[in-house]
Amino acid sequence: MTKTPNFTGWKAMILSEEDGNCERLKRQLHLLGMSVAMQWRPLAGEALPDLVLIDADRGWDELLPWTADNPLRPVVGLLGSEAPGRISWAIRQGCGALIAKPVTAAAIFPALVLAVSIHEERMAARLREAHLMERLKLRPVVHAAMARLKSERGLDDDKAYAVLRDFAMRRRVPVEQIAAFFLGGSESLREAV
Amino acid sequence: MQDSVRIGILFSSTGPYGAIGRDAREGAEFAFHDYRAAGGMAVEPVYFDPHADLSAYLEGARSLIRDSGCRHIVGTITSAARKEVIPLVEKHDGLLWYMCPYEGFEANENVIYIGGCPNQHLIPLFDHLLPRHGKRAYLVGANYVWGWEMNRLSRELITNAGGTVLGERYLPLEETAVQRIIDDIQEKRPDFIANNLIGPASYAFLEAMRALGERDPAFRPENCPVASCDLQESELDEIAEGAAIGQLCAASYFDTLDTADNRAFKARLAAWKGGDRKVSCVFASAYTAVRLCIAAIEAAASDEPGRVRQSLLSRSWPTLFGDMRIDPATNHAALPFLLGRINAARNYDVIAATPPIAADPYLTGTTRAAAPKLRVVS
Repeated sequence: MTKTPNFTGWKAMILSEEDGNCERLKRQLHLLGMSVAMQWRPLAGEALPDLVLIDADRGWDELLPWTADNPLRPVVGLLGSEAPGRISWAIRQGCGALIAKPVTAAAIFPALVLAVSIHEERMAARLREAHLMERLKLRPVVHAAMARLKSERGLDDDKAYAVLRDFAMRRRVPVEQIAAFFLGGSESLREAV
Repeated sequence: MQDSVRIGILFSSTGPYGAIGRDAREGAEFAFHDYRAAGGMAVEPVYFDPHADLSAYLEGARSLIRDSGCRHIVGTITSAARKEVIPLVEKHDGLLWYMCPYEGFEANENVIYIGGCPNQHLIPLFDHLLPRHGKRAYLVGANYVWGWEMNRLSRELITNAGGTVLGERYLPLEETAVQRIIDDIQEKRPDFIANNLIGPASYAFLEAMRALGERDPAFRPENCPVASCDLQESELDEIAEGAAIGQLCAASYFDTLDTADNRAFKARLAAWKGGDRKVSCVFASAYTAVRLCIAAIEAAASDEPGRVRQSLLSRSWPTLFGDMRIDPATNHAALPFLLGRINAARNYDVIAATPPIAADPYLTGTTRAAAPKLRVVS
C-alpha cells in the first residue's frame, strides 16, 4: 500500500536568492504543513533541516555541508538551465529530484516525494553496503575457523562451514562473529551435554 | 474595451460523463439567468463544448481566453481535463473555477476549488461507514486517476482502522460487464463496498448488486451498502428503476436539502424551466461557481483575476452550501459533508450532515505520519 506522504512539521531550507520562484515554492511548502527558511549562504552542518531545496542554476560547491557520495538530507534542485554542467552539479549535491524553473505549483509535491524516497533508498543501500563490507572484512576469520575445524575434527570444507552456520543460527549471530568467538576460545562449537 | 464581462463555460455535453457535463452547463446557464433577473452589471457567458475530447479542452480554453477575452473559466469535470487547461490559465494569469469533487493533491493559485477533496467527502464517509457497517471492505473504481487515488486512500483509511480490503477492481467508464466483480464480491462477503466507478460502469454495477441482494439478503443495502462519492441526482434516472434504492452517496449538496435557501432556489429554477427537475450537486456547484465569480467581480469592480481572487478570499459568501469561505492558503472552499440514501423517488434522503469542513487537499492533518526520522549515516 502506498501511504499518503505527509510533510507536516518538516523543516525545509531553500538555498536561493529571493525571487518569484521562491514565493511560489514557499506557498506550496507551507500548505504541505512545512516550516520554511531561506538563505543564500552555505548551510551549517549542525541543526540540519529535514529537506533542502537548492538553486542549481547558481549554486556553488560549498553550499551544502556534505559530499556527493553521502548527502545527509533529501535534496531537490531548482533548475532552469539545461547545461550539462549544472545538471551534473545538481547530481553531485545529491539532488534526488529537480523542479524546473519557472516553478509551477504542480511540480513541487511530486519532486519532494521523489527526493525523499530516493534519499531513503540511498540510506538503506548505504547501511546494507556497510554491513556487507564488514562481513567481507571478516572473511579471513571465517576461513581461519574453517581451517581449524577441518584439522581438529577431520571435516571437509562443506561440513566445517555447516558447523559454523548451524551455531551462528542457534546463537542468532552472524557466521563471522561465531568464527571469531571460536578462534578466541569463547565458543567451543560443541553441543552442551 | 468590452462593455460586458465575459465568463467562459467549459463543459462537455457528450461522452461517458456527458450527463454530468450537461447538468453543470445548465447550472451555469441558470446562474446567469438568475443573476440577470435581479439586475446588476453586464455579464455574458461564452460556452465551449469540447465533446469529451481531451485536446479540445486546451483549444477551448485558448479560444475563450484569446478570442473571447474571458479571464475566468468555469469548468472541466475530470482531473485530466483540468490539468490540461491549468498551464494556459496560469500563463494568462486567469482564474479557473473548478467545481467537481476530485481526488485532491493540488492547490494552484490560478484555480478556485469549489468541489471538494477527500477530507471533505471520502474521509467523513469512511468515518461514518467503518463504525456502523464493519471494517471488511471491497473497493471498485473507475480506471483512471479518480478511481485509483480514491481507492488508494480508502485502503489506507481501512488499514489504519485495523480493517481489511477484500478486493479492489477497476473498470473503464463505459464498461458494463460487471459480473466477475459481483461473483468475487459474493465470494468474499464484504461489510460494505466503496464505489468509485463513474458513469455507465457505476450504473451497471449498482443494478447487478441489486440482483445479488435479491438472491442473497446479505448483499441488500442495509447489510452491505454500496457507498459512492460521486453519483449525481441526474444520474439516478440512468439506473434501472428501483435498482439503487438504499445505497449511499456522499456530497455537499442534495436536491432534497430542506433549507429556506434551497426551497427558494428550486422555486426560481422551476419558474425558469418549468417542471420539478431534480438539482444535483454538480448543478448546484456550477451555479455557485458562476454566482461567486460574478459576485467577486462585482465586489472587486474589475474582472482582473488577482483582484477578483482577493475579493473572493476576503469574506464568506451566502451560497446553496451555506455560508461559504474559500481558504486563502489553498483556494479551496470549506464544504459541508452530507450523506444521502437513495429513495424510491430516485432522489436522496439526507441521513447525516456535518458543518462545513475546511479543505485539506494534501491531507496534512488527516493522514498524520510520525515526524520525519531521517537517520544520519556517516
